[in-house]
Amino acid sequence: MKPLFPRGLALRLSALVLTGAGAVFVSIVLATYFMAREALLHQAEANARNFSQALVNHIESVLAPIPKIAQGMAYDMEYGDLAEADIFQRQRRLLQDNEALYGTAVAFEPEGRRKGQLYYAPYTFRTPLGPKATFLGGPDYRYHGMDWYQIPREMDRIEWSEPYYDEGGGDSLMATCSVPFHRVKDGKQSVAGVVTADVSLEWLKRLVAGTSVLDTGYAYLITRTGTYVTHPASGVAYNESIFSRAEAHQDQALRQIGQDMIRGGSKFLPQTSLHSGKQGFLVYAPLPSTGWSLGVFYPRDELLASVHTLALVSAALGGGGFLALAVLIAFIARGITRPLRRLTVAARDVAEGNLDAQMPELGAKDEVRELAESFGHMQTSLRDYIRDLTQATASRERMESELRIAHDIQMGILPKIFPPFPNRSEIDLFASLVPAREVGGDFYDFFPCGEDQFCFLIGDVSGKGVPAAFYMAVAKTLIKAVAESARSGEQRRTDEQRITDEQRKADEGRTPGMDSAVRARRGADPGRILTRASNDLAQDNESCMFVTIFCAVLNMNTGEVRYASAGHNPPVLLRAGGVPEYLPTQQEPVAGAMEGVVYTTDTLILAPGDGILLYTDGVTEAMNPDLALYGEDRLLEQVAARGALEPKALCEHLGRDILSFASGAEQSDDITMLALRYLGSGENAG
Amino acid sequence: MQFTQNKEGVFLVLEVEGRMDAATSSQFEAHCLGCLEAGDKRLVVDLSKLEYISSAGLRSILSAAKKLKGAGGDMAFCAMGGIVAEVFAVSGFSKLFPTFPSRQEALARS
Repeated sequence: MKPLFPRGLALRLSALVLTGAGAVFVSIVLATYFMAREALLHQAEANARNFSQALVNHIESVLAPIPKIAQGMAYDMEYGDLAEADIFQRQRRLLQDNEALYGTAVAFEPEGRRKGQLYYAPYTFRTPLGPKATFLGGPDYRYHGMDWYQIPREMDRIEWSEPYYDEGGGDSLMATCSVPFHRVKDGKQSVAGVVTADVSLEWLKRLVAGTSVLDTGYAYLITRTGTYVTHPASGVAYNESIFSRAEAHQDQALRQIGQDMIRGGSKFLPQTSLHSGKQGFLVYAPLPSTGWSLGVFYPRDELLASVHTLALVSAALGGGGFLALAVLIAFIARGITRPLRRLTVAARDVAEGNLDAQMPELGAKDEVRELAESFGHMQTSLRDYIRDLTQATASRERMESELRIAHDIQMGILPKIFPPFPNRSEIDLFASLVPAREVGGDFYDFFPCGEDQFCFLIGDVSGKGVPAAFYMAVAKTLIKAVAESARSGEQRRTDEQRITDEQRKADEGRTPGMDSAVRARRGADPGRILTRASNDLAQDNESCMFVTIFCAVLNMNTGEVRYASAGHNPPVLLRAGGVPEYLPTQQEPVAGAMEGVVYTTDTLILAPGDGILLYTDGVTEAMNPDLALYGEDRLLEQVAARGALEPKALCEHLGRDILSFASGAEQSDDITMLALRYLGSGENAG
Repeated sequence: MQFTQNKEGVFLVLEVEGRMDAATSSQFEAHCLGCLEAGDKRLVVDLSKLEYISSAGLRSILSAAKKLKGAGGDMAFCAMGGIVAEVFAVSGFSKLFPTFPSRQEALARS
């Protein structure tokens, strides 16, 4: 099974994009979370303030009228003595008009109503059976010393009592609002008594305790002294104050909060609840009419629950989106790299030598397709190139093969059997030819021509290679034909007609008195041979090629050598026991260059033991890597050093010396040598 | 191989410098044919600066000379030295073509 992310471009592309996208996702989720939390906190604070203020207003709407009721009664009392029945009637009516009012009393100063009467306090309160009238005060209820009476009287102002549990009156949690009333006595206004309005706080307790604040939040109420009126923890209300709790828990912050609360402050601030131990926020606000303060605690986690939910939702959405994106990118990346992979497979196929491998056909005109097309072009070019190369190689091999055969043919027309005439003891001869290329233009030849006559020659065609080889074959064949034809009288007469007068004069000048019979006995004449061969070669010689030839005829009985040179290097003459020297030649032109050139025959006598070395310029012009030439001097030195050697040894020695001189430089011309040593006829030797 | 040429009366003097061997000899022939096409039929070839001449070089001289001759012109050589003079002597080219020891002598001929 293929991996979802094959290693390579697709994986890297996916990883890079997903890393970027992941970073963006995480940033968005975090930013959303923090921004939403801030916004929600602001919202929560506003809500909390509104909520607590609504609660305060609700409570106020009940409590605020109470002091006014008491005030109204107090005004009535100040304007004159009311009859007892009137007092009770008014009290009953107040109870009927005000649902929140539990009871109301008009308590007089000692002897304030009547002399000698210490207590006078008509009191009406609710019962299940309706309002009931009674009198407060007596030896067991000395109300003049009680807080609800004494504090407003001394302070001479409206006063709310601390909440108390009234066992005598309503059997319920109460708070009393007391308003002093005055009388003028002895020209001086003084407090004559206190009108009270009792309010049952059971409803308040239920209201505050029953207020649900989130799941575990709560509300509480404290009085002006910090005493808890309600508190969610049991046994705290009326028994503890906010300060006693702060003291018990060593909570300085709570103490400060309590001080601000009883001062009538209003705030929203973070707090750790002593009740639930939770982190959260406290909002508090005063109840203006009583000076009490309402506190509401909001647990932080519950307040921010929606933020957490939001964060979770956005994280889940982000994660889901991320996964979806990952899958999408994986598919896209695979889609983009699929053509590349197909191309890779095809290219590998090509690389393994299958030049006919099919390149994948790609749809979209994109970079990959361009690459595939380029590969296709490369494939075609390679195929063409290999085909051409194969053809060229085959053609070259054919050419080389043909040249090898040509080489064999060329070598085949040179005599190669040494000694050439084992039954003739007069001469020892050796020749060698080393072509610079497969075929060359050098040649040598030797053959008997006439009685005791031995013709030997060496030639060098201008240029090298195939053209030179052709010319060499023609020249060599022509010379031999001319030389052999010179022996027959018929042929010679035909020759005579063609030989110019100049030639005849030259011949006669050189050998005066020699008649044709003598000439016939002496066999072929080298000068004539060259003259005729040159003329034949020069005809229709469009290529302007030419050949240098040294041709000699040896009389094996006498040692007489007649020779002629057509522009050839002078041979080396090696007299037995003497110093080798170059044989002077006429320096006549090369053969085949021009028609009408006449060659002169020279003569020399070889004594037994004398030798002659013919060579081509491949010997003297052999070059070393510094392009220096082997040269005539070195040739002479080497011949002198080895002069006594037999022809074969001499040729082989010179071949080795030339090779060592060249020091690896490429051979530029054919190297040909022919060495002959005259050993003398049997009679002479004998 | 380098050529320097200048007109001296009826002759065009062609100075050849370098080596005339199988690799370069065709340049000489081509250059001479160029001269012929330009109308210069009578050439004096100054070989004083020629270092070396091979049989291929001789062939191109022969070929060029034949073409000049066919066009009614001629070719003379002068001031050759050292190995070139030797090659000319040995190959008999000295006998095939007019050769002079110096340029002045070549130009002085009728």
